[in-house]
Amino acid sequence: MATVLKNEINNALNNDNLTGALGRFGEAYLPAREKAYEGKDFEATREKIAQIKSHAAENMEALAQQFLAQAEKNGAKVFRAKTGQEAKEYIAKLITEHNVKSVIKSKSMASEEIHLNDYLLKNTDVNEVAETDLGEWIIQLCGQRPSHMVMPAIHMTRGEVAEIFSKETNQQLEPDIAKLVKVARENLREKFLKAKMGISGANIAVAETGTLVMCTNEGNGRLTTTVPPIHVVLVGLEKLVAKFEDVGPILEALPRSATAQKLTTYVTMMSGSTPAIDLDGNIVEQKEMHIVLMDNGRTEMREDPLFKQALQCIRCASCLNVCPVFQKVGGHVYGDVYTGGIGTILTAFLNSFEKAGELQNLCLRCERCKAYCPGKIDLPALITELRRRTVKKEGMPLGQKLILEKVLTNRKLFHSLIRTASVAQKPFVKGNTIRHLPLFFSGLTEGRSLPAVTDKPLRDRVGRSVPKGKVKARVAYYAGCLGDFVYPEQGEAAYKVLNKMGMEVVFPLEQTCCGIPASQMGAPEVAVKLAKQNIEALEKENVDYIVSLCPTCIEVLKHHYLDHFKDDPAWRARAEKISAKMVDFPSFVAQHGQDLQFNKLSTSVTYHDSCHMKRALGVWQEPRELLTKAGVTLTEMKGCDDCCGFGGSYSIKMPEISKAILDKKITNIEDTGANVLALDCPGCKMQIAGGLDAKGKNIRVRHTAELLAEAIKE
Amino acid sequence: MTAVQDKAEKSYNEATGAALYDRFKASAELLSAEVHRAANMEEARQLVTQIIKDLDTPKVVYAPSELMDTLDVKSIGQAAGVTMTAENLRQQAADAGLGISQLDYAIAEIGTLAGNANSIESRMVSILPPIHMAVIRTKNILPNLLETIATYNEKLGELPRYLTFVSGPSRTSDIERVLTIGVHGPGRLIIVFID
Repeated sequence: MATVLKNEINNALNNDNLTGALGRFGEAYLPAREKAYEGKDFEATREKIAQIKSHAAENMEALAQQFLAQAEKNGAKVFRAKTGQEAKEYIAKLITEHNVKSVIKSKSMASEEIHLNDYLLKNTDVNEVAETDLGEWIIQLCGQRPSHMVMPAIHMTRGEVAEIFSKETNQQLEPDIAKLVKVARENLREKFLKAKMGISGANIAVAETGTLVMCTNEGNGRLTTTVPPIHVVLVGLEKLVAKFEDVGPILEALPRSATAQKLTTYVTMMSGSTPAIDLDGNIVEQKEMHIVLMDNGRTEMREDPLFKQALQCIRCASCLNVCPVFQKVGGHVYGDVYTGGIGTILTAFLNSFEKAGELQNLCLRCERCKAYCPGKIDLPALITELRRRTVKKEGMPLGQKLILEKVLTNRKLFHSLIRTASVAQKPFVKGNTIRHLPLFFSGLTEGRSLPAVTDKPLRDRVGRSVPKGKVKARVAYYAGCLGDFVYPEQGEAAYKVLNKMGMEVVFPLEQTCCGIPASQMGAPEVAVKLAKQNIEALEKENVDYIVSLCPTCIEVLKHHYLDHFKDDPAWRARAEKISAKMVDFPSFVAQHGQDLQFNKLSTSVTYHDSCHMKRALGVWQEPRELLTKAGVTLTEMKGCDDCCGFGGSYSIKMPEISKAILDKKITNIEDTGANVLALDCPGCKMQIAGGLDAKGKNIRVRHTAELLAEAIKE
Repeated sequence: MTAVQDKAEKSYNEATGAALYDRFKASAELLSAEVHRAANMEEARQLVTQIIKDLDTPKVVYAPSELMDTLDVKSIGQAAGVTMTAENLRQQAADAGLGISQLDYAIAEIGTLAGNANSIESRMVSILPPIHMAVIRTKNILPNLLETIATYNEKLGELPRYLTFVSGPSRTSDIERVLTIGVHGPGRLIIVFID
C-alpha cells in the first residue's frame, strides 16, 4: 500500500484534536439521532427513499430532460455539463460576461469535487470567491480540505479558528466561539452585500417542477440565493427525483441522519427565477438564474449494474458518523473530497478509481454503516466489489495469490501447514499466546498478543458424540479455522452443551475455510471453490442442523454462498439446502435448549456484540438471556456493539487503526469492572484477548458456549 | 378561499386547533424561537406594538402582504416611534434592527414555518436583520412536514417559485460542535399567531 496513505493514517491517529473531536461527536451522534427519529419509522422511510432514488437513477436521462424543460419554463437557464471541466468553463464564462468581481458561495460538495474556486480565481478576473458556510470559510482561509461532508472543520479547535480569524481580520481574537461566530457574520456580511454572483449547491432536484431544494442552518444559503442579482446553482445528476412529493421522505431523513435535527433551520425550494435587487438598488423582476446540471461520472455509475446503488445516497454522511475507522482517522486520510465509506465509492467514479482502490483497504466490514444508511445502500458489499475490481485490474501480490489459489483450496495442504505452524511457533509461545514475532511480522503483535495455534485441533479432539437418552436431532458442527486450530476448547464446550440438549453432534472432517478471506482479498473464484468443498462435506452427513460459533462463517454459509451461485441453478439449490440448516450457537440454544439447567455462575460479566453477530445475523438478545440464565451478573459497557477493530485480515493490513479502535474497546470493558468479557466470535476474541494480554489486564475473555458449559448442571 | 386554505382549515378543525398550537409552541421553543398568540387583530396590534417598543430599535423593515396590510404594520411601527420602511431594502434591511414578514403555514410536529417568499422584500427583511418577526394565521397550523408537502403538492401549478421553510433562528455547530445561535441569518425569531 502506498506509504502516503500510511503516513496520513499515522498523522491522524497522533492528532489528539482530531481523534478527540471525532470521538466525542461519534458518541453524541447516536443518542441524538435516536431522539430525532422518535415516533418515526426509519425502516419505512428509508424503503421509500431507496425506491425514489433507485427509480430516479434508472431514469436519470429522462428526468434530466424533464427538469431542464420545467426550469427553463420558469425562467432559469439550464446548462448540461458532461464533465467538471465543462461546468467550470461555463461558470467562468458567466463571470467574465457579467464582469463579476466578487462571488459568494454557500456549501456545495459538487463544487469541491471539481475544485471550482481554484479554477475561477486562475481563469477569470474575479477578485474573490468566498465560502460562507462557517466551516467551509474556516477551511478556505487556512487552505485545507473539508474533513467531513456535513461538518467540514470538525477537526479544528476554537484556538486554531481564533488564530485563523485573527490573521484574516488583522486583530487579536480570543478563542471564544460566540465571538468568533460574530466576527464571521460581520466579515461575510460585507461580502454578501457587494457580491454580484452567488453560487450554491442543492440537495434535491425535482424533475416534475424544476425545483431545487436546499438545506442550510446558518442562513448563508438564503443569503446566497437572495442578495446577489445573479444566482448559479451547481447540481449533480444524482440529486434528481421524479416528483415533488418525493421531497417529503428525503427531508424526513436527511437532517435527522446528518445532524440529528428534525429539519435544518432553513429549507429553500426554488422553482425558477425570482426578483432581486441589483447592486445599485434597482428591482430586477426576474434575476439571472443559471443551473449547471453536472454529469462528471454519474452516468457511468448509473450504467454499472452494482455501483448504481450508490446513487441512492442523499449525502447525509451518517456512514461517516457511525464508522469506527472514520472516528479514529477523520476525513483527510481519505485524501479526496468525498470521505468515509460512501466517499470511497464516489471517489472511484467522480475522481479516481486508483485512489479509491487504495482507500477501500480502510473498511473494516463491520456493517454498521449499512444499518444506518437512509438510502439503504449496501456499502460493505460495494466496497468488497471495489476491492475485487482493484485486484482484477492491478493483480494480487504473488505470495498472497499463491496462498489463496494453491494452499487455501487444498484442504489437506492448508491444514498440514497450520499443523506445521504450531510446531514452528514454539520458540515464541508463552503460555498459550504469542507476545512477539521476529522481523517483519512484528507489526502483528504490536499492542496485541496473538493466540498460539493449538497442537491438537478440534478435529482431533471431537468426532461423533451422542447424548444420554433420546436423540432430538442430528447436528453438524462447523468449526471455522479459528475454532478448529486456535480455540478448540470453545468447540468442546459447544459439544457439551449440545449433547446436554439431546443433540447428536458430528464433525464433518472435510469441512474447510468458509472462504471469507478470499472474498475479502478480492479472489471470488477461490471463495467459490471453497464453498463447493464445504457444501459437499456438509451434505454427506445428512444432518438436521449445522451449528457454528463463528458469526462470520455463518453469514458466509447462510448468505454469501447463495450469492456465489446465483447464476448456477444446480449449485444454488444445494447451497439453499445448506443455508436453511445453518444456525448460530446462541439462537440454537435459546430455541432448543429451554430445558437446560444451570448452576449459578455468579461472575460479573460484560458482553461484547460482534459486528457480524449483531448486524449481519441480528442476534444480540439471545446470548444475554442465556448468560443471565446461567446466573452471571451482566453489566453493559459503553458502546457494546462498537467494532473491536479486528476485521479479519484488516488487523494485519491496517494494524495502527485496528489498535486504536481496540484501545477504546478495552477502556470501555475495563470501565464496567467486570471480571469476564463474554462474546460470540472467535475473531473478536483473538483481537480483544490479545489486547488485554498485551496490556497485562486480568480480564478473562470467554465465548458464551464456554460459560454455559461451565454452568451446566450434570 | 383557495383549496389549499380549505384543507388547512379543515385539518386544523379536525385535530382541534388548540392541541396543534400547543404542539407547535413546544416544538418551536425547543429551537429557541419565541412564540406569541393574539386572539384577534386588535390584540395583535397591541402585541406587535409592545414587541417593537421592547426591542428599542430605531429602524424596522417590513414586507407588504395581505396579512401585513390588514395588520397595518406600518402605522403600528410609526405610532411606536420607529422608522418603518419597505423600500430600498438592500441598504435598509442591512442595518435595520428588526424585519417583519408574513408566513403561510406552521408545522406543529417540528416547530417550522413555511411560506411563499417570491417577493424579494419578504426575503430581505427575514434574513438580513438580527431579529425576524413572522406573523401567521393560527388556523394555518398543519400537523407535520409530510402533510405540508402534500398540501403544496395538491396545487403544483401554484407552487411558489421561492418556497421557504424556517425552523428557529439561524444556527451553527461548525466550531467544535458547540451550538451557537445567530450566524448569517437572524439570531432571534419571534412568531406572532393571529387567530
